[in-house]
Amino acid sequence: MAFERPTFSDQWHRVAELRPRLRSLVQSSRQQYRGHTWYIFRDPSNNKFSRVDDAGHRFIGMLDGRRTVDEVWKACCEQLGDRAPTQGEAVQLLGQLYASNLLEADLPADAAGMFRRRTKRIRREVGGYIMGLLFARIPLWDPDRFLNRWVKLVGWCFGPIGIALWSVLLFCGLMSLAGKGGQLVNQTEGVLSPGNLPWLYVSMVVLKLVHELGHGFCCKHFGRRRHAGGEVHTLGIMFMVLMPVPYVDASSAWSLPSKWQRAFIGAAGMYAELAVASIAAIIWANSASGTLVHALAYNAIFIAGVSTLLFNLNPLIKFDGYYILSDLIESPNLMQRSKDMLYYVVKKYAFGVKRPRKPTDGRREQAWLITYAILSSIYRVFLSVTIFFFIADKLFFVGMMMAALAIVGWVVVPLGKFTHYLTVGPELVRVRSRALGVTLGTVAALVVILGFIPVAERDRAEGVVEPREIVAVHAGADGFIRRMLPSNSAVLAGEDALFVSEDRELESRRDQLIARLQEMQARRRSAIVEETAEAQAMLEQVRALHEQLARVESDLEKLTRRAPFDGVWVCGSSDTSTGMYLRRGEAMGYVATLDDLRIRVAADQFLGPRLPREAGTVVELRARNRPDQEMVGRVTRVVRGGRRQLPSPALGLMGGGELAVSSDQQQGDMAASPFFEVEIEVEPGEDGSPPALYAGQRVVARFELGRAPLLVQGWRALRQVLQERFRI
Amino acid sequence: MDHVRLRQPGESRVRQDAGSPFASAQAWRASLSHQPLKPPPTGADAAWDTVMSHILCRVPRRRRVLRRARQVVALEGEVAGYGSDRLVDEADRLRTVFRRRRETPEELTLAAAIIREAARRRLGMMPYPVQVAAGLAMIDGRLVEMATGEGKTLSAAIPAVVLGMRGRGCHIITANDYLAQRDAETMAPLYEAFGLSVAHVVGETPPDQRQAAYAADITYTTNKEVAADFLRDRVAMGYNPGVNASLLASLGGAHLRQGHTVMRGLECAIIDEADAILIDEAGTPLILSSQGENTDEKERYQHALQLADRLERGRDYRVDLKHREVDLTHAGRRRLTEITADMTGIWRGSRIREELVTQALTARLLFLCDQHYVIQEDKVVIVDESTGRLMPDRTWRHGLHQVIEVKEGLDPSPAQTTLASISFQKFFRLYRRLAGMTGTAWEARQEFQQTYRLSTVRVPTHRPCVRKHLAPVMCSGVDDKNARIIEDVKEYHALGRPVLLGTRNVDSSMALSRLLTEAGLAHEVLNAVHHEHEAKIIAGAGQRGAVTVATNMAGRGTDIKLGPGVAERGGLAVIAAEFNDDRRIDRQLFGRAGRQGDPGAARAYVCPYDDLLKRHGRALSVKLAARFFGPRAAVAIAQARARRLARHARKSVLRSDVWSEQFLGFVHPDH
Repeated sequence: MAFERPTFSDQWHRVAELRPRLRSLVQSSRQQYRGHTWYIFRDPSNNKFSRVDDAGHRFIGMLDGRRTVDEVWKACCEQLGDRAPTQGEAVQLLGQLYASNLLEADLPADAAGMFRRRTKRIRREVGGYIMGLLFARIPLWDPDRFLNRWVKLVGWCFGPIGIALWSVLLFCGLMSLAGKGGQLVNQTEGVLSPGNLPWLYVSMVVLKLVHELGHGFCCKHFGRRRHAGGEVHTLGIMFMVLMPVPYVDASSAWSLPSKWQRAFIGAAGMYAELAVASIAAIIWANSASGTLVHALAYNAIFIAGVSTLLFNLNPLIKFDGYYILSDLIESPNLMQRSKDMLYYVVKKYAFGVKRPRKPTDGRREQAWLITYAILSSIYRVFLSVTIFFFIADKLFFVGMMMAALAIVGWVVVPLGKFTHYLTVGPELVRVRSRALGVTLGTVAALVVILGFIPVAERDRAEGVVEPREIVAVHAGADGFIRRMLPSNSAVLAGEDALFVSEDRELESRRDQLIARLQEMQARRRSAIVEETAEAQAMLEQVRALHEQLARVESDLEKLTRRAPFDGVWVCGSSDTSTGMYLRRGEAMGYVATLDDLRIRVAADQFLGPRLPREAGTVVELRARNRPDQEMVGRVTRVVRGGRRQLPSPALGLMGGGELAVSSDQQQGDMAASPFFEVEIEVEPGEDGSPPALYAGQRVVARFELGRAPLLVQGWRALRQVLQERFRI
Repeated sequence: MDHVRLRQPGESRVRQDAGSPFASAQAWRASLSHQPLKPPPTGADAAWDTVMSHILCRVPRRRRVLRRARQVVALEGEVAGYGSDRLVDEADRLRTVFRRRRETPEELTLAAAIIREAARRRLGMMPYPVQVAAGLAMIDGRLVEMATGEGKTLSAAIPAVVLGMRGRGCHIITANDYLAQRDAETMAPLYEAFGLSVAHVVGETPPDQRQAAYAADITYTTNKEVAADFLRDRVAMGYNPGVNASLLASLGGAHLRQGHTVMRGLECAIIDEADAILIDEAGTPLILSSQGENTDEKERYQHALQLADRLERGRDYRVDLKHREVDLTHAGRRRLTEITADMTGIWRGSRIREELVTQALTARLLFLCDQHYVIQEDKVVIVDESTGRLMPDRTWRHGLHQVIEVKEGLDPSPAQTTLASISFQKFFRLYRRLAGMTGTAWEARQEFQQTYRLSTVRVPTHRPCVRKHLAPVMCSGVDDKNARIIEDVKEYHALGRPVLLGTRNVDSSMALSRLLTEAGLAHEVLNAVHHEHEAKIIAGAGQRGAVTVATNMAGRGTDIKLGPGVAERGGLAVIAAEFNDDRRIDRQLFGRAGRQGDPGAARAYVCPYDDLLKRHGRALSVKLAARFFGPRAAVAIAQARARRLARHARKSVLRSDVWSEQFLGFVHPDH
């Protein structure tokens, strides 16, 4: 048919003479979505909802069990003109309502249809459990009566007074945390300690229960006020990444006409949770550290903070934030419709399908849907990869099974469906060649871009900055310090005395020796004059004295230390002061070439062997603490032999670096597996200024490893990650 | 887009014989036939199904049937020696075997030999081995492809006897009322020899004779009649949710409504010209309707046509020849809003307005007089594309028929209210056993396999076929083509050979007839408008020097016998002025030449302005084929594309059948 909405349908005669009507129990309520009126039908027997647009509602409304469908349709056409449902739409509407059990007519039950729907539903649910193993739901308890009983007592919490009080509470909670940020952050390390884990879990269950009851009560509260039911019949357990947490089914919120109320129901969980967290914050701030109360209060703050920010508020996954967003932008069923919108764009513009099904006509809503579709798909991939690695780290087989299921569910099945759609889907019958062309072209382009066009490959490794030459200066002899060069002064080799100490005993001994020498020389001179044979013996004594003197002199010399090479004198300890006694061999400080630095990088097993053999390769460098500054270096040497002794403990995991260190060494400077040391010389900046590096800094070096297609690089990286993590 | 409409006859229904024990069995069987169809497989099952159908339709079966036919023929001498008493005894014995369905292959062979002998004695016709082979294949539920003039009527009688002896009725579906009556009468002596009753149901058969006719062991009828009776029964039975639900309801004390039904369930059918019925007409819904009220819609359609005339092609609308659709552009919609600004009533709403105007444009541009329809007695009568015949029962749907009538200045026929409808495709899938025969099945064998679970067997001709296929001639334009055709006709005429000139529509047959008159060639014209002397024209078409211009009417089902002396001069020459959308239709036309081992020749002419190439010639593949491999390849590819398109249309009929069955399962099953 060449029309968008053909008036007539071939199936019309099948329903034309029926006289159906809505079941008397069905409740309907009116809602506004983006300027359009919609009606929500609720089946109280199973709390299921169906949404019908204005024209459809008018059509259904006129069916009273006495008029035939055909009569009603004609009346609708007269009243509504263009907006009236077409025959096809009316048939579809009737079919859907009948399938949802909302319609009654003088017909025997369609037993076969009911069985078929049941089989289909069960199959879908089972499939859902397997696929959504991560988020499986198990209903446990019907809290409706409980909520009914207590809502009178707690309902006010969701009114203006409640919100005002809540704001005050939240303010107090925040104020009590103010100024304790450091403590708050520091204590996170304790949260995941094995001793706290059971408590953490207990706190979480309690807090989540409060959260869910918040939803439940809020739903009940608004539902009662609107006389729209607000029934909450399911409270159960949901597995969130294999961790059971409570959940509640608040889909009754659908029947509320105000989007703010619906959004509030979505937010009520966090609302309740934050109230508890605020109380916990006050307790935490006013209790002594180390007590159980303190720890529990901290757990509550931690859970409320983390789960609220990371999960509940995030609209990209189907938690509270999603429902709040979808209510606020008046776009129900956001997830599915955003996908449909994406499909629509592809079908319409890439495949050239003539009239693809459009999820919405509103331009702004289309923009919302497309943005949402793209963001949520990216996030989904990110989240699933994260979860996979998280679980695979803990439980390898479960992780692998989940990965297999995820690959089947998210790659194989959609790919199969897409292939089916592309090859035999009826929608493409007229544009099949174009659709195939576009798809194959895109795939080919991707394969070429990813698989054949070489892209510069880079990898990074951590290194530490070191002066090219460094010498520890030790005290040469015992003595008291007399004077000392200030730290960080530049020194010239052999000239500047780094520090001078004195040894009075040695000095007096020297003076004594000099005196004795002079005496001996004087005596010798006189002995020569007297020409006694003694003179010869004296010469020996003079010689001995000379030697002694020379020894003392050299010892004295040792009291003064001079720079062994040009560099900077770095004083070892700051409290070295004049008059302090030094023992021989005591470390005093360093002389190092601080303006002539080099970098020693520890490249691991994956990177090391792939580094270019020749020296002179240009390397990009960034200091760990100054990631904004980029420097350029040159490889001067690659030590190809595997080493395990790290250039600095700072590169090992124990010292905050990236390399795993061997656990039997307390110093933490032995790498767990051998690495390759790379020496890099830093080039001066463009204006000739010396690089702003300091000895001891940690630096990330980025190596150019030649060019390879992205697919090859990705595959290598994946294998590397798997091997590293799971030794496979 | 069109469909067959049947008027619901008045209340002159068969009175039900309440006391007959048959009544409940009949209701039971009928209920079984009204069970919803099993939905076609989905997902991986569907892929498997397609793969299997591709494999199964390629399984060679020909040699096996021919071997079995030789076994039957080998019994000839033995059976010929039987006295008539012996023959009757053997037949009686076999009947009980067949009724119990416990026959062995040997018994089947013997039965075929006896049928053959009985045919010789009663009809004076001895089935050839190839006819026996065809019959045996049909007993197995196969679709047999056998050439024209090979005696399909006699071939069908062999399975009819066997299936008739099973005692559950056997419908033989023929192409038209005349054939149903003729075949039933011709074959009656053979069936009588086996104690089988035979009857026929044609359009004129009064309702009270139909029940008896369907109760006969063998019923000759047409597809239209049998499907219509089925629909009427369904309406008469009222709401019948199928046998399971009926049984459930009767447990609860409710009575199974039997109504006044005429049929006793759909057991087995042997379909003549199976491809025409199961493929070409498959998507056409048969609709049982009652006269609706006479509304004054003429003015509305006139308005729509006037509005359509004020739009400009290309700017306001686009014509999609391939899919036979008209689409309004944005500019067209705006223009329509402007020019209807001061109109009232239904013209206020854009949807209905655009729909009406689109329909008017479709009627103007895509439905042409003397091509898609003719006007007879102030009525628009549809011409069937594949058979070239008038279809007075058919109408186009959703007001299109009325628009076309208004376009031609006629009064629109009153709107009709649908009571029940079924597509032929669905109807024939309801039979428990199908078999069929046709001259052209091979091209669609995969579809037969997948849709109807019918595998195709190609039976060789009794005498080798010596028809010469000449290469198609590519012409630059219509005038060039017509000139060459006339030259060709002249050449054959000079040799004294009869010529059959086949055209696709009434229009071009008239054009060629004019040219022949100008060239001074005496000829006959056979088309939907000139069909009064069809039998006479066909009888004369094989005579020496005859020239016949005909639409596809002269294709399927016509048997052109050669006059004396013609065979020596080279036999009948068939010239196709244009290729059809389906290769099978072309083969039907070519098959008129070279019948039963006679000599003959066939040649086709192509030009870029032919309907086929106009609709499908824009595809790159067709252009490339025309450029590098010549017209034959180009036509083959264009025909493949057309076939795919048609096949898709049939598939969507199937899909919508399934959809409505599942989605509207709560209402009457496909009423």
